[in-house]
Amino acid sequence: MHYPWWYVPVITSPMLIAAIAVLHVLVAHYAVGGGFFLALETTYAYRTNDREYLAYLRKHAQFFILLTVVFGAITGVGIWWTIGLASPLATELLIRTFVFGWATEWVFFVLEITAAFVFFYYWGRLQPRTHIAMGWIYAWAAWISLVLITGITAFMLHPGDWLQKRTFWAGFFNPQFIPQMLARTGGAFLLSSLYVYLHASITCTSERLTNLVEQRSTRPALLGAVLILVGGAGWYINLPDSAVEAMFSASALNVFVGLIFVATGLVFVLLYLGPFRNPGWIRSPGFAVALLALGMIGFGTSEFIREAVRKPYVVYNVVFGNQVYAEQSELQRLRDGGYLEGGVWTRQYVRHNFPQVVVGAMQQEGGSSGGHIDRQRLLELPPEDRVKLGGVLFQYHCNDCHAIARGGYSAAGPLIQGWSRAMVRDLIDNLHTARFVMPPWCGTPEEAELLADYLMSIAPPRPAGMEPAPTMQPAQRQADYRQLSGEAQLCGEAQSGAAQ
Amino acid sequence: MDPGQLIETNLPPIPAPIWFVQLFKVLGFTLHAVPMNLWYAGILIALVLYVRGGEHGQTFGRRLMTQMPIILAYGINLGIVPLLFVQVAYAQPFYSATILMAWHWLMIIALLIPAYYGVYLYSFGLRSDGPGLTAFRRAAGWVAAVLLVVIGWLFVNGMSLMVNPHAWPELWKRADFYGATLGTGSNIADATLWPRWLLMLGLAIGTTAVWLLFDAAWFASAESDQYRSWSLTLSWKLYTASMVWFAVAGTLYVITGWQSFKQMFGFPTVLLTLLTALAPGLPWLLLFRQVRAGQFPSRGVAALIALAQLGVLGVNAISRQVLQNIELKPHFDVLARQTATQYGPLAMFLIAFLLGAGVMTWMIWQIVRPGQPAAES
Repeated sequence: MHYPWWYVPVITSPMLIAAIAVLHVLVAHYAVGGGFFLALETTYAYRTNDREYLAYLRKHAQFFILLTVVFGAITGVGIWWTIGLASPLATELLIRTFVFGWATEWVFFVLEITAAFVFFYYWGRLQPRTHIAMGWIYAWAAWISLVLITGITAFMLHPGDWLQKRTFWAGFFNPQFIPQMLARTGGAFLLSSLYVYLHASITCTSERLTNLVEQRSTRPALLGAVLILVGGAGWYINLPDSAVEAMFSASALNVFVGLIFVATGLVFVLLYLGPFRNPGWIRSPGFAVALLALGMIGFGTSEFIREAVRKPYVVYNVVFGNQVYAEQSELQRLRDGGYLEGGVWTRQYVRHNFPQVVVGAMQQEGGSSGGHIDRQRLLELPPEDRVKLGGVLFQYHCNDCHAIARGGYSAAGPLIQGWSRAMVRDLIDNLHTARFVMPPWCGTPEEAELLADYLMSIAPPRPAGMEPAPTMQPAQRQADYRQLSGEAQLCGEAQSGAAQ
Repeated sequence: MDPGQLIETNLPPIPAPIWFVQLFKVLGFTLHAVPMNLWYAGILIALVLYVRGGEHGQTFGRRLMTQMPIILAYGINLGIVPLLFVQVAYAQPFYSATILMAWHWLMIIALLIPAYYGVYLYSFGLRSDGPGLTAFRRAAGWVAAVLLVVIGWLFVNGMSLMVNPHAWPELWKRADFYGATLGTGSNIADATLWPRWLLMLGLAIGTTAVWLLFDAAWFASAESDQYRSWSLTLSWKLYTASMVWFAVAGTLYVITGWQSFKQMFGFPTVLLTLLTALAPGLPWLLLFRQVRAGQFPSRGVAALIALAQLGVLGVNAISRQVLQNIELKPHFDVLARQTATQYGPLAMFLIAFLLGAGVMTWMIWQIVRPGQPAAES
């Protein structure tokens, strides 16, 4: 609406956010949990004067920095990049609301990297007390970063009192904040233990050391598992109804929920069977890889679900996925004035490319300016132009969730395969009542006609030869379309007659 | 198409006064510019000197490249501040421009990851206990250097497109897909693009020159006096070259962007313009004084020269901010934006900032206080 829409074929641009976010969380949680692991274990190693363990921890710190400071930090910035590109209105709102939360998080980010570098690069050159202090500064700074970011991401799922109060604090301390913070903290502990197992299985040469690493990492992993369960339960209890229903009504999400339970359950079982009951297992890199892979599957999937259950919103009850404010007044404005007229870029697109539908415009070099789009004139356009403008409506209203053609992410064409035009038209009118995970239709009836034209142009026909035949034959669809074109023509003739 | 019509003007208030937003934007950019300059031009200079700079050149190449992973980390971190605050007050032109060139903009992230790992590969090869500088590691260093220069170009592209809404309709038209954009635009047709990029490169060479001297004075106690003496001479030569570069690129920038620049020559803004143009003269004079005296500067003087260069970057950042507002004003008057200050969260940030500065100071003191050995590179 306020910004140009970025069309990414096949996957849609918002899926880029999900892809980068999933990659990021797999490392970002390790950046938190691994910080506690290093701080705690360095303290232990100094206290017991275990030189071999200290040497291992130093190797682990190098691996940790290479993964978290580079990949973790840059994919974190990458999320910013993609949300600004694929969801600009929601990003603008989040930044306007939480800029000082982010700015505060940045302070802790600076502390994190400084502490991490001093901790690693000055290893063996600082007094043990100072060295340990650096580890703890890192760990707590990283955890506070997690807390601050969780307040913002949890807000997106359930803004709580913010909808009434519109203050930073009301938004930050939302109903999802504490459950997500617990779950993410637990996830950080659990995931970091899995990273430690993998690293130890590859780099530790002594059996004593492997056993020690394993023994010391199992407790945080189990604590993490408990926190995940408690936080996860809180997350579920505090979900808005629509999110609960979204989770169980979409078949893909059903599969993902199942996958989370299976992967997380397997991680718990393997933790019990491996490090707890059969300590030797962890020395096998294969076992450690399997454990980490299962943890990543569980984590990545839950992150994907966290994104997906918000539909049709990006921020629950505040901004729809298609970058429209979820306010009655905004809906009314768009329904009265038109979606094309209401959007900054769509309005200019129509004025520039279809000046014949604009009334009251002043012609000038390079196009027209001023005036407004006449709703009736949209129906007077020739069929190819109606399809073209319907395509514009599809891009700005629908492409945030739907690709176009077969093979694309939740592609619209196949979803309405074989439908009659009347069915499509009816769906547009009743978008959010037919499917609650869809936003309401935000345009005029005339624009709905254009969108229907476009959707019919991308919908494949019903496969031939299927019995019993539908009551509405594919041929009828064409007849519908011809009738529509005829009506538009008649309407145009009537209008031009009236004008004369 | 009137490009001004592509920017929403009915905007909600911003959560802090515009002076505050601009202060942190400029401050953040100035601090970001130091490490950014060092990887932008510094890596190239270090790699060349490592191969062709003789014994001392090799020493400098080794020193800078072993510091580079840390420099990169801070540069990226400090870059978050201006990028955060630009989105607070300038979201409308910023998002619109970057969406039009979305793939190029996203490429920054995709290139930064291999560039960063390339720097680490090279850097670890230089460690005394490392695997040595194999051909693969040397190649990784060069690839990183090229990628970082390309990233700089992409950044300049995005920031110049943001203040050039006149280019938007054409870019939109070329990559139009049913009114959406394919995100394949680039501001390459903008005459100011190359001079802007070259100007930044000139500044980067100057900052690298100053770092060469600062590092020799503060952190290179294990190096020889000959190295220090060499570093002074090279620092002055590099800085002189950077000044010439800065002057040429700056003149080209002014000429190509005259429509906006002419307001930078009105009173009192002309004073800022003059200060920006003349600012590099101060570090150069301080360097020249040391070269003429044939005396390697004390730590204090080296710090003064570094501070002068920080001032050069700061004055440049202020000028860029003023120019950015001038360029956008016909379409988007940022100074007229309404404010609804979030006092509580603002206080939280400032308190965290002060406490964080305290903890940072303590951490740095632990490693620089007398008796502390240098970091393992």
